[in-house]
Amino acid sequence: MRRVAALMAAGLLVAMAGPVVAQTKSPAARADVFRKLPNWSGYWLTENDETSIGGLSQRAIEAKATGQSGPRAVMSLYGFGAPWNDEGKRRQAEKAKAGGRKAEGWGYPIMMNGAAPIQFMITPEEVLIINAYRDVRHVYTDGRKHPDPDDIWPTVWGDSIGHWEGDTLVIDTIQVKNPNYYFHGAPPLSEEAHYVERIRLVAPGKIENDVTIIDPVTLTGPWKAKVTYQPAKGFDRMISIEYDNDRTGSDEAGQNTIEPATGRK
Amino acid sequence: MAMFDQQKTVTLTGTVREFQWTNPHCYIQLSVKNAAGVTTEWSLEMGAPMYLFAEGWRPSTLKAGTQISVSINPLKDGKPGGVVLTATTPDGKQLGKKKAA
Repeated sequence: MRRVAALMAAGLLVAMAGPVVAQTKSPAARADVFRKLPNWSGYWLTENDETSIGGLSQRAIEAKATGQSGPRAVMSLYGFGAPWNDEGKRRQAEKAKAGGRKAEGWGYPIMMNGAAPIQFMITPEEVLIINAYRDVRHVYTDGRKHPDPDDIWPTVWGDSIGHWEGDTLVIDTIQVKNPNYYFHGAPPLSEEAHYVERIRLVAPGKIENDVTIIDPVTLTGPWKAKVTYQPAKGFDRMISIEYDNDRTGSDEAGQNTIEPATGRK
Repeated sequence: MAMFDQQKTVTLTGTVREFQWTNPHCYIQLSVKNAAGVTTEWSLEMGAPMYLFAEGWRPSTLKAGTQISVSINPLKDGKPGGVVLTATTPDGKQLGKKKAA
């Protein structure tokens, strides 16, 4: 009886301990780990996506002037180059029809390929990736695994774990809620999609992100894309403002238009 | 962006009623008087505040009552609105002060 009670107590302690994380290091040992990590401080922007006051980059404006797609010119995660299967093509066509609908923010993966600056906060335990819309990714590098299936749910940022291979941050992301519902420019992948990123500083002022996406629901095979980041000029801080004034609406004919201004506080 | 006619550029001069420093877009509400003396309010879309900030704009860049000139691509549906391409004082001085990061 006493043995059963002891086992129950031990089980309770394990249950209370929560997820397994890396052993706590002494401050000196932690500082030693920190010292070996790369420094990607500052604000980073998708290459060639510096944006004018009108909201488009010069490259996107030039593409549009020649009848090309602006996003295709600067956003490799938009979905143009993906090996879509029939379901993926159907979703892409649906997305094209609903191009101007309201957004909630950007979410993952499009926050990694947008005109909004991102910031990498690297610590020994996790890397935080934050953009100007306050989309935040917690990339745990403390050795943990993804939560068990009954302990995880889809979100527009997904669940990310990572590790360092030398100076390359390798991120594994799952459980991304179809990001296309959140931000209309995002690829319409399913929640079964699995994302792997390999991010590293390849030269001063240049970070590359090799992204591989596998999604049995919408893709015929791995979708490989590369995103390059350059320093975001003109920022001495992250410019964050609440996302509360999307005035893109539809007119009587169903065409996108600007909704009238309402009184703002 | 598809709602704007990028083949057409219109220049407007008017008085700022309100400058909305908001996400996902900034907007200028501009009162414009036509040759017949009729005033119309235009809704002029800009990029997100972060893009304007990088070009030296701040919420105080445009105050109600300020006279400005803008060039825009107008809305395709003919309503008084458009996307801003350039914005200057009536004498052509660029708005926003570019700051190095």
